[in-house]
Amino acid sequence: MIRLASFAAMILLWQAAAQFSDPRHLPGPGPVASVMLEEARSGELFFNLAATLARVAAGFTLAMSLGSALGYIMGRNRFADKILDPWLVVLLNLPALVVIVLAYVWAGLTEAAAIGAVALNKLPGAVVVAREGARALDPTLDEMATVFRLPLKARLRHIVLPQLAPYLAAATRSGLSLVWKIVLIVELLGRSNGVGFKINLAFQLFDVRLLLAYALPFVAIMLGVETFVVQPLERRVSRWRSDAA
Amino acid sequence: MLLDLAIASKDHLSADGRPQRTLADLRLTLKRGEAGAVVGPSGCGKTTLLRIVAGLDREFAGSVALPDHGRLGMVFQEPRLMPWRSVADNIQIAAPQASKAEIGALLEALGLGGHAAHFPRQLSLGLARRAALARALAIKPDLLLLDEPLVSLDASLALELRDLLARLIDETHVTTLIVTHDLAEAIALADKIFILSPRPARVAAVLDIATPRRLMTPQAAEALTQKARAAIASLRE
Repeated sequence: MIRLASFAAMILLWQAAAQFSDPRHLPGPGPVASVMLEEARSGELFFNLAATLARVAAGFTLAMSLGSALGYIMGRNRFADKILDPWLVVLLNLPALVVIVLAYVWAGLTEAAAIGAVALNKLPGAVVVAREGARALDPTLDEMATVFRLPLKARLRHIVLPQLAPYLAAATRSGLSLVWKIVLIVELLGRSNGVGFKINLAFQLFDVRLLLAYALPFVAIMLGVETFVVQPLERRVSRWRSDAA
Repeated sequence: MLLDLAIASKDHLSADGRPQRTLADLRLTLKRGEAGAVVGPSGCGKTTLLRIVAGLDREFAGSVALPDHGRLGMVFQEPRLMPWRSVADNIQIAAPQASKAEIGALLEALGLGGHAAHFPRQLSLGLARRAALARALAIKPDLLLLDEPLVSLDASLALELRDLLARLIDETHVTTLIVTHDLAEAIALADKIFILSPRPARVAAVLDIATPRRLMTPQAAEALTQKARAAIASLRE
């Protein structure tokens, strides 16, 4: 309820601010909604949203699965950690823009380059978080698994993953917001569809209505993913914490 | 012989970095179906001994002979249940070949019938330890290892669990190695008592119990206590 009220206040503030400024710089909610409707009717809006969403999903999945695996290995194996840590530091400090431009230069203006660049930007963050999680794994449960000769699959599923879950949830949250911002830059620089491409177009036309008509629905989608997918999943995996004796 | 343990030496690094001998020339054997209790003062290396038998500590000189592919069931001092899985799931994961009915019967036998769906956090220590015991029994172990099974339970609970353990050992004839600091506990549960010397620990005396568990009489227990005390006292000289 409070969230909803806060959200309504935000729209009101936007409306009020729009009253006092040049409509070309800050159009009100009404004009933006009408552009949105227009784009929706032509199918453009959904096509571009879907293109961006697919890139977010692909880049995010790639980065999270690779990052978790690498982070786990680095957290458990001191030798691997020593070898890979400098690479990680380089990747962490490489600006997103440099990775994207290099990917396009080396691999051409292709979809693979775009998604690879997105994944590469999210990867080091996922590695760092998964590594922290792997370092914090409970050694007493490990010993239990050794004595009872649990197969690797059962260990991963019942011992490792439940302990990594809070870390992976944190990485997912920060990851989703980061990934979609990077996807927009990737699209702006080298793709001919998607929200980022449309925002580039809006920029060239100085059309703030068009820009907002694409940016806002996407924010809403990501908000929906967070509220209806990430949070319920998090609650589910932490169910065992809540009702103690 | 089901378990034949011969440890020539086991060293620990002490706080100042120097190796300290924990176990030396320690020999211990158990026949199939026997329950042995290792008794010694706290800190004498009992848990180390158990970890060596369990295969968790391989840095020692000597040998541990166990049957090939023998299954080990262990009850650690802390229950070490997976807090994110229910009691029944904890058992099922450790013993995938056990049927639902078998697990249900085991839980019932250990007084955990109403707790199958509970998470470990919802259990008291006494119940959690029973759950850990159920897990160890569910795999139908060739050797059951118990590390201070009654420690930090209040007196009446400890007695209750002690009687339950004695009954289970009598009924299942599972070969059992118990580590404890409490002589009375050893007398109540074992066929054989191994008394350890202070560090570096070796088996200083072995007491055979002719009337184990339900056959135990107060007189026999008294006589064993005297004998064990005498053995422990002679170690101090």
